[in-house]
Amino acid sequence: MNDLALVLLAGVAAFIPRYFPMLFFSKRKIPDWFNEWMGFVPVSLFTALIVKQIFVTSTYAFSVGNIAAMISAVLVIVIAYFTRSMTLSVVLGLLLMWALTTFL
Amino acid sequence: MKKEPANWLAVLKIAMPLCLSYIPIGLACGVLLHAGGLNTWLVALVSLIVYSGGAQFLIATMLTIHAPISQIVIMLFFLELRYALLGSSLSHYLKKSSHKFILGFAFSLNDENYAVNYLKFATDKYWTPSNALLVEHYALYTWAFSNVVGSLIGSSLHINLVIVDFALTALFLFMVTMQVKRRLTLLTAILAGALSAFFCVALKSTLGIVIATLLASTAGFLADRVIRSMAPGSSLLYKVRGPSGTRETINEQELTEERLLKEEQEKDKDHDHE
Repeated sequence: MNDLALVLLAGVAAFIPRYFPMLFFSKRKIPDWFNEWMGFVPVSLFTALIVKQIFVTSTYAFSVGNIAAMISAVLVIVIAYFTRSMTLSVVLGLLLMWALTTFL
Repeated sequence: MKKEPANWLAVLKIAMPLCLSYIPIGLACGVLLHAGGLNTWLVALVSLIVYSGGAQFLIATMLTIHAPISQIVIMLFFLELRYALLGSSLSHYLKKSSHKFILGFAFSLNDENYAVNYLKFATDKYWTPSNALLVEHYALYTWAFSNVVGSLIGSSLHINLVIVDFALTALFLFMVTMQVKRRLTLLTAILAGALSAFFCVALKSTLGIVIATLLASTAGFLADRVIRSMAPGSSLLYKVRGPSGTRETINEQELTEERLLKEEQEKDKDHDHE
């Protein structure tokens, strides 16, 4: 019962930030500056997420110890740049990561 | 909604890498949620209504340390706050969509399908909101299915989280690489990364990601404005060279030209008013 309440509340917490800003801005004329600003959001967010995943541990300490992930990340960038294929980037990235964590 | 058979297949092809990368992560997430005490039905429900890898891993972790519900929900809310930014940045592609559509679209939005859809909206002018919703749904069903299977297999499956987690990192790396079109964007990305590390460690919370995103995107945006008005020839505005002239780049050029044309027309209109 408690678990069900948790799941439902989690659903609400997940839904509010997804829905209201999107609704608000889809029904108004968005000023140019806002669009320009939003153009910088994805690239910032994704880099922020990547850095968190590679350089910040689960206990929130900064670490450069994840050598396998760092090498794989650089190679994934090279793969993405030259192939422009998301599938190849993800699949080869996983293989690289697997190989490096296994053999390093 | 009328859909040609070719369309769902074409969209499926675009969603496929995303769906594939969800399978191992979904399995792992299902295993962890099961270990945290959720039964299979609840795992299915949480995958459908929360639908976010980060959030579900957080729930699993906090369930195993017996955190109170209120605390889990508050943490979750902060973690999900970034969707306010994502939703806003997609919203101008959804101007013609109905309230009901936006409700459904927002409901199934998450980082990864946002990334796919943002890239498609930005580079493919024939990309429609219903295609975008379809991508969300393909990924959603794969995700929920993988979670359920994970919770059924439970503890009999050993999954190396370090490797599985990297699927998402690789996906984001791909997205960033595809989006860095100008030197200024590259600088913004580097700034975002540095700020993210700093604020995540300083605040001991993933809220650091939200703050880093806000600060870096604002800095990039302001720098873009200032440089364009003060020094339009600055090398910061140079494009980053791609490996080859692909179709995507051409398509994008057309889009930019269209936008410039529109801007000019709007300027003309302003002049008329004056």
